[in-house]
Order: sequence, then structure tokens, then C-alpha cells
Amino acid sequence: MSHVNEPSQLVEVMLPSRLLFLGVPDAILMELAGDLPYEQKDIDELSTAVIEACTNAMEHGNGMEQGRRVELHFLFSPDEIRVTVLDQGPGFDFNNWQPPDGLMRERGRGITIMREFTDELTYDHAPDGRFRVQLVKRRPRQD
Amino acid sequence: MKIKERSRDGVVILELNGKLMGGPDAATFNDTLKTLIHEGHRNVLVDLAKVDWVNSTGLGILISGYSTVRRSGGDLRLLNVSDRVESIFMVSKLHTVFVSYSNEDEAVRSFA
Repeated sequence: MSHVNEPSQLVEVMLPSRLLFLGVPDAILMELAGDLPYEQKDIDELSTAVIEACTNAMEHGNGMEQGRRVELHFLFSPDEIRVTVLDQGPGFDFNNWQPPDGLMRERGRGITIMREFTDELTYDHAPDGRFRVQLVKRRPRQD
Repeated sequence: MKIKERSRDGVVILELNGKLMGGPDAATFNDTLKTLIHEGHRNVLVDLAKVDWVNSTGLGILISGYSTVRRSGGDLRLLNVSDRVESIFMVSKLHTVFVSYSNEDEAVRSFA
């Protein structure tokens, strides 16, 4: 795997909209980020956030239609890991989203988890119209 | 996700294995709990030692299971929560709801 001094490296993956495949982004991050200067906690958090993004993409974006794919880009750079998740749904108004009330609610925690476990989280539409989520974990400062 | 069931001192221990992520897992887990309650069991310890990760949908499954057992007059507690899974409980503030243990003897005794 790349060393921090090497140029950025991009890994691209297409997943069918089946929860069965949620383990794929986790496996990629665990395998490829192992040599990078991150704590295991940081990789775990990013992976958990990416799994949430993929869950939303499959369920809400693609409506669990297996023919609709979730596309993932993992960009490993010296200063950060940036994961882009694209689905074929309409997206939602992220700026006005508010978490549902109730500690014992059974749904509605995904965005909170993504926010807490990333250094940067953005939602928008890609130039081709697909809904896009970008999740970034920055390299820890070496003071 | 697979569920292995065993019993110890009146406590049913459910060992989950795999990824807790919704889909068929929800029905599997809820059906298991409903069967246990129907059989008269009330004290349930869920062992997460072999759970690689939990997503927010998986959290929902545990919350639903917790509510089901509590409504029956029992309790559902957790065993062997990894650091990774613990972090998602912390972010969700669910560590204030679920009682968890890292030692099985202690966990089983807690139901006495």
C-alpha cells in the first residue's frame, strides 16, 4: 500500500444495493489503511461512517433495488483519506436536516454517526446528477 | 449474522456472530427474543464478542430487542462490547441505556 510520501491512490468499487455488501468498504479500509499513519480508532470511525453512508445510499437512495449501484471512491492521500459514496436517488436537504427526537428511536442515527466520526462530511449532487456524500478523515497532526 | 444460544444460571446468553446491520438480522433477533419470552425466559445477555461492527440499523435492532424484553418484565444486557462498537453506543448516547459487562461471570451474577 502507498506510503505517505507517495502520490494519492484511488480505489473505485461498485456495489449492488444489498446490505450483504456493506462489509466491502470496511474490508477495503481495514486492508489498505493499515500502513498509513492513523490510529486504529480513526480507521474504525471512518469505516463506521462509510458503512452508514452506504446503508443510506442502498436504502434511501437506491430503494434497495439491486440493479441500482452504489459507487465508492477511496482516495488515499498523504494528508487524508477521502471516501465518496454515490447513489442513484434524489438525495435530501442535508443543510436543513435535524435528528429525530427520542433516545429509544430505532432509526435516524446515521447522519449523527457520520458527523461525529469524520473530520469533514459533505452532501451534494455530482455533475452527472447522482447524489454524492463525501467523508474525510484527516491524518493526525505530527507535533 | 448468526445467533448461538446457551443458558447459564437462569440467564440466556445470545452469542451474536458477524455484522449487526439490519435486513434479515432484525427478524432473526426479534424472533429469537419472542421465542425466549414465550418460553418464560426474561433475563437475556447479548454477547457481542464476535460482532465485527454495528451500524445504526443494527443499533435499532438492539433497541427493539431491549424494549421487547423490558416490556416482558425482564432485562437485556450486553457482554464483550468491543471498542469499535462501544464508540457507536457513545455517539448515540445509548451507553446510558444498555448495561454492559466485559466479564461473563459478573454479567450473569448481575441478574440475580
